[in-house]
Amino acid sequence: MMMLNWSIALIPLLPLLAALWIAIGFIFGWNRHEKGEKETAVVSLYAIGISFLLVIGLDVAAVSGVLPTEVRLGTWLSSGRYHINIGFLFDTLSLTMATLVGFITLIVTKFSIDYLHREAGFQRFFMMLSVFNAAMLLIVLASNAALTFIAWELAGVSSFLLIAYSWHRDVATGNAVRAFVSNRMGDAGFILAIAFSFFWLGTVEWSEMPIMIKENNISTLYVGVIILGFMTAAFAKSAQFPFSAWITRALEGPTPSSAVFYGSLMVHAGVYLLLRLAPLLSVEPALLIIIMLVGIITAAYGYVVGLVQTDVKSSFMFSTLAQVGLMLVWIGNGWFTLSLIHLVLHAIWRAYQFLHAPSFLQHAQQPARPVPQWLHRDTWLYNAALHRFWLDGISDWLLTKPTHALAHEAQLFDEQVIDRLTGIQSHANMLSTLSCWEAQQANKVALVDEIGKGNGIFGAFMQVAAAAMHWFEEKLVLRGSGEGLLTLLNYLGKYLENIDKLLMQPRYLLVLIMVTIVIIL
Amino acid sequence: MALHYSDFSWLSLLILLLPFCAALTLATSSAMARWIALVTHLVVLLISIGLAIDFDASLLGFQYVEKSLWIATLNIHYFLGVDGISILFLPATALLFTAVTLASWNSIQTMQRLYFSLLLILEATILGVFSALDTIFFMLFWEATLIPLYFLISLWGVGANRRYVGVKYVLLMMGGGLPILFAFVLLAIQGDGSYIFDYTKLVEIARSNQYQSIIFFLLLFGFGVKIPLFPLHTWLPVLAQEGHPATIATVVGLKLGAYGLLRFVVPLAPDAAHSFQDLMIGLGIIGVIYGGVAALSQTNLRRMLAFSSLSHVGMIVLGIATLSQQGIQGAVFQLLNLTMLAGGLFLLIGFLHQRIGSTDIISLGGVAKTMPLLSAFFFFLGLANMSVPGTATFPAELLIIISVLDSYAGVGLATLFGVILGAAYFLGIYRKAFLGECRSEIVAEAVDLQTRELLIIFVMSAIILLVGLYPQMILDTMRTATDAWVELLQP
Repeated sequence: MMMLNWSIALIPLLPLLAALWIAIGFIFGWNRHEKGEKETAVVSLYAIGISFLLVIGLDVAAVSGVLPTEVRLGTWLSSGRYHINIGFLFDTLSLTMATLVGFITLIVTKFSIDYLHREAGFQRFFMMLSVFNAAMLLIVLASNAALTFIAWELAGVSSFLLIAYSWHRDVATGNAVRAFVSNRMGDAGFILAIAFSFFWLGTVEWSEMPIMIKENNISTLYVGVIILGFMTAAFAKSAQFPFSAWITRALEGPTPSSAVFYGSLMVHAGVYLLLRLAPLLSVEPALLIIIMLVGIITAAYGYVVGLVQTDVKSSFMFSTLAQVGLMLVWIGNGWFTLSLIHLVLHAIWRAYQFLHAPSFLQHAQQPARPVPQWLHRDTWLYNAALHRFWLDGISDWLLTKPTHALAHEAQLFDEQVIDRLTGIQSHANMLSTLSCWEAQQANKVALVDEIGKGNGIFGAFMQVAAAAMHWFEEKLVLRGSGEGLLTLLNYLGKYLENIDKLLMQPRYLLVLIMVTIVIIL
Repeated sequence: MALHYSDFSWLSLLILLLPFCAALTLATSSAMARWIALVTHLVVLLISIGLAIDFDASLLGFQYVEKSLWIATLNIHYFLGVDGISILFLPATALLFTAVTLASWNSIQTMQRLYFSLLLILEATILGVFSALDTIFFMLFWEATLIPLYFLISLWGVGANRRYVGVKYVLLMMGGGLPILFAFVLLAIQGDGSYIFDYTKLVEIARSNQYQSIIFFLLLFGFGVKIPLFPLHTWLPVLAQEGHPATIATVVGLKLGAYGLLRFVVPLAPDAAHSFQDLMIGLGIIGVIYGGVAALSQTNLRRMLAFSSLSHVGMIVLGIATLSQQGIQGAVFQLLNLTMLAGGLFLLIGFLHQRIGSTDIISLGGVAKTMPLLSAFFFFLGLANMSVPGTATFPAELLIIISVLDSYAGVGLATLFGVILGAAYFLGIYRKAFLGECRSEIVAEAVDLQTRELLIIFVMSAIILLVGLYPQMILDTMRTATDAWVELLQP
């Protein structure tokens, strides 16, 4: 039993250790440059190779019936009534997926060794690929939602790094940040689902969740909320509508990484998650309709936009989206097995196709098909397809821009209001470095010594008290006029006008809505 | 509360050894000074690790206790001890100071002897803050941290206005210290006849005090300045910009204010904490969102980290404010993580600043080309900063988020928004500062991390990674203490 436990744990652990080994080697400099390529390649290839063999071994064990469907190795985190175990599942779904993942990652790793030969970031690429291999294996084998989430995030991080593989190009890094942050929104749904499973079901073990629902008669509303959280995460990872925009940005990475991430494996992680939830989905059939609708929309979207793409990788990408959309349609109809078969076949085919992408046109030996006539006639649809239905722009306009504007104003607020209230003046008249100061000195601009002056509420209070005395004596006692008050009122009026203007902006409406939600809940 | 005395006064040894060696540092030559300082920090580190290993996590109450009468007429004691909440802060502090000393090895050019001895004294006072159990004795250490900090900021700061900021920082912190002292005096005079400054006794009789609300607000304001709570936070970005990065690592890494919140504010006014729970939750969530949003628009790495720290500490306040087992465990866990994380990030920024002379985005860009290791470690710590699984911050934040969602679902949702912001601001600024084309000649000619720097940051990253992979060992150490903490608050 001990032997079995160890070999199970090694499946995701081996590629992870390979990644660590490469990282440490790079830090201490023994595998850098071209002479380190061989070692790097061997380490990552052997790690994933042995993992794959172990998975095959488990398959054999499962077929001959000696493998338990679930193995628990220990506790990862336990606090009060919440426990997260380190455990693995070995049902048909997990084993099928694990075999698929092991097979494709092995092939892609092998392929990349020659493909990336003499690339500057060889070691970096194989480190990230190994992390991804580990993460993907853990996603499909983990026995509970929290462990799946850990792997889910690791896959996200390695995908960020591979999109930003050519980090000196602004477009690549910008796309990487965009893709990661979009995925992060789905992750928020995942965390919500984990938290609510803890509260309402008392467990995050995949196998225990349906049992708990049945035993404790959990209301379907609660189950719906939990599934909705997982669904958001699945849609974001599988780039389903409305999260579809990020995936084309992800094509910046080297071709093997595109193949393994967006062509064949990571994009299917969302489908896997939904399949994993199948026993829960049957409790709340209303959600199946949402899944089906999202699937149909994405399939149509992928098909139409795919028609007008002008490069090989993008058109593969959109047809992948369409296929994944179809898988969701099968799930929406309750045909889980069909969806799984579709997934496996599609993953293998797409990995092959993506790896061929650089030489695809040569192999095809015929020019790409032109845009079909019916699309030609409908100019609006054509235009929309060319712009990928403006999904990027819409999310920009809805989320990114208001957040950035808000950030800018938070900064202003800090400088203009809070700094003045608390008495530390920071940005406006401060220089970040001494060299700036020297430059300023050379121009003979004197810095005012602020220490003697009273700043902030208390400082201002003292100053005001002193000034009031002075003013009283000067103005009222000696002259007696209301001139000063008038200027003050004018001054205040200007401020109020500015605040009024700011409140007209839409982002404050958003903030107001958020605040209302926070208070109501 | 049970007190377990030890045969040898280990805590006193730690706290007294440091200033003694500080004096020794001042007396030798500059070349010797830093070696003496380093060896002292290492000895303290070893002793505190030993104490943490020897610590019996299953015992309730304080261990390694030392108690003797100090000022008889006022009933003030020399009273030290640690429990499951504070024990791990000792090795964390010692490790951070060892790292800071190593990081300042060459970057401090003037008055080296004074600098290294001030660091030793600062460590002594901070260890005192974590282990003092008499309120006046605690106050002594609390205020004493300001003296070395004032000189460290105003003498070795990198900004043009470092003296101004040094003065302001000390004034603000003393302003925060007064209400704390006042609250302690109010608490002390509730006994009939004799004064009570004994923390363990005060906690036991806290329930019977009728002035809990007053004490709660005095302490909340006092510790709130240091935490810092919105809107008392403005000293933090300014300090981050003006002070020497190595010094700032100790201020930002060791969040004494948040420690005060969970050690003093809540246990000494439990009923008030319950009635003003909404207020604390509100302050926490404002910190999380405001810090995250403000960090988005920063153009200086140090200021960005300062606002990010505001966001993190808001999360810790949220965890404490839930008054639940998961919340408090997550908060203590996250406080420990931040010693390594915020400390490590600021030290890295210090290395960068030493090479480039600036941490403004405008003078960076393409850093990854010439300094791949520095960029890689900054990215790894950044992953921890946005609490990606696999790093130590993930389990801590997960515990906090779960506890918040449990009692305040809406605030929990807002916290998740803060988590998304965390990814956006860090990756946004990382991309502009570290990736892209090399724009400045200084960056193009800079060298990567050297062995000494690599060692520091490697150790800190390794700890973050290992704790992240197996977080249970940290939680096991604090469980008894946090359970007792939550039990105290049960109505």
